[in-house]
Amino acid sequence: MTDDIDYEIDAEDLPKRVERKELGSPSVIVDDVHITYRVFGARRGGTTQAKTSLINRAISAGRPDTGPITEVKAVRGVSFIAHHGESVGILGTNGSGKSTLLRAIAGLLPPTKGRVFVSAEPALLGVNAALLPRLTGERNITVGGLALGLNAREVRERTPAVADFAELGDFLYLPMSSYSSGMGSRLRFAISTMQTPDILMIDEALSTGDASFRKKSTERIEQIRDGAGTVFFVSHSLGAVRAMCTRALWIEKGQLVADGDVDEVCDAYHDFVQNRTNASAGANLNR
Amino acid sequence: MGVRPPFGRYIRGVWGRRSFIWNLASSRAYVRNQGSYLGQAWTVLRPILDAATMIIIFGFIFHSSAPGIQNRAAFILIGSFTYTFFQQIVMAGIGSISSDLQLIRSHQFPRAVVPLSTVMTETVLFGPILIAMVILVLFTGLLPGMGGFETPHWSWLLLPVAAALLAIFSAGGALFFARIGARTPDVANVVPFLLSLGRFASGATFSIAGLTGQHSWFRPLLLHQPVQIFLELFRSVFGNEPHIPMSSALWLQAGAWAVGFFALGFIFFWGAEETYGRD
Repeated sequence: MTDDIDYEIDAEDLPKRVERKELGSPSVIVDDVHITYRVFGARRGGTTQAKTSLINRAISAGRPDTGPITEVKAVRGVSFIAHHGESVGILGTNGSGKSTLLRAIAGLLPPTKGRVFVSAEPALLGVNAALLPRLTGERNITVGGLALGLNAREVRERTPAVADFAELGDFLYLPMSSYSSGMGSRLRFAISTMQTPDILMIDEALSTGDASFRKKSTERIEQIRDGAGTVFFVSHSLGAVRAMCTRALWIEKGQLVADGDVDEVCDAYHDFVQNRTNASAGANLNR
Repeated sequence: MGVRPPFGRYIRGVWGRRSFIWNLASSRAYVRNQGSYLGQAWTVLRPILDAATMIIIFGFIFHSSAPGIQNRAAFILIGSFTYTFFQQIVMAGIGSISSDLQLIRSHQFPRAVVPLSTVMTETVLFGPILIAMVILVLFTGLLPGMGGFETPHWSWLLLPVAAALLAIFSAGGALFFARIGARTPDVANVVPFLLSLGRFASGATFSIAGLTGQHSWFRPLLLHQPVQIFLELFRSVFGNEPHIPMSSALWLQAGAWAVGFFALGFIFFWGAEETYGRD
């Protein structure tokens, strides 16, 4: 579903370290959030919960090797408070629940248990904004802008700037299905940065396109970040997190491992990743 | 975050997104049927083929399907096209949440936008179908035994109004099933059966008043169920059958059903607002 790709970010592309601002009032409060996915017809291979109810067994009676519904616990009990003027980096191995948590804070994925309180409507800046592949780029900008909550006039005003930023040229008037993957992700990035929100969330957005576009997009994020009150930033690149954040959360298997100053958490995470031998640890559902 | 907004604010939110609904709907209408040689023509051709099947079976093979009706072909054509419109909207509603999951998971907006835009798509596509229906009705009279060429009538101008009322009514059904379909995709397999049962229970291809027993218990039920009322409304607007006169009572009933059903569907959909997008 998500087509985010991990690039290593070149050191020279990184912005200077952000200066720490005065902490303001709380902007995001996450209170014991749990998120459980339901997966239909997943293969039963010892990964699912051992506990099966009578009704589950009844439903799956006719199909011996598929369970009817598998539950995947992506986030299990995360709590924290973020303030205005804070940049929070979220660290964790693949499949640790970072993106899921971010979606829950953005209100896109309702938590199964627990509550999220926000002071303003957050915006998730992703490289995976929804676009309709058979429509032209121009049309997608209109639909995408409206989905972001802009009104029709604002969208009309900003369309040329977005088209310009995405560097599509004549491809703007061709269906998106004819785009190269770089063009597609450039357009997605350009659309999702159409407005400046108070709470900004960036999910691997720096890994979009070639080197020149990456530089441009980094500048754009800087620009948006100056306007935003609180920034959440998910990345695998420790360098980027150190440079862009003042605080870091480390999530492992859906649980909060560490929360504190960016340098301390990054050091601890670095040691953990270096010493880890089993890369699939995060993919084990039972632990 | 992730909690249901109060109803008043929700309505304002949906209203504020009306240009989003419209853009999403027209984009989808444009995309539909791309990738076949005849393209958009299929929008019109498919219901014509459907209606032709029904006219062959109920218009010619079963002569007595609509006693008292002069032009059985037009009767069946109008019934079939109109019911198909209702059916398309409800079916589109069921899958609306799951087919736009990506959109729902990337942006925050009132979720009713999604089923409402699919309803809008079907309504936009019904425009050319309505025109085709009018043209075909003119010529059905030329079929053997159907009573001659139909003459256009001033009341035909009311057809878009009737279509709008039916769209609002069907949107209620679409919203209702959108909530159920979002949580239980299985209903997408069951509802087609209900809808084809409904096609006969609404008398899309035969006359309920003419064929059901005078004293059977289900006769009043079938005659007063809303979809049958809408089919009657369409037929009365065409005004070619003396047995089906247009009356203000019919319009009032249709209007009341449309508003009531839509309101119920909307409230039901809003009731699970915070859960859409969850797996």
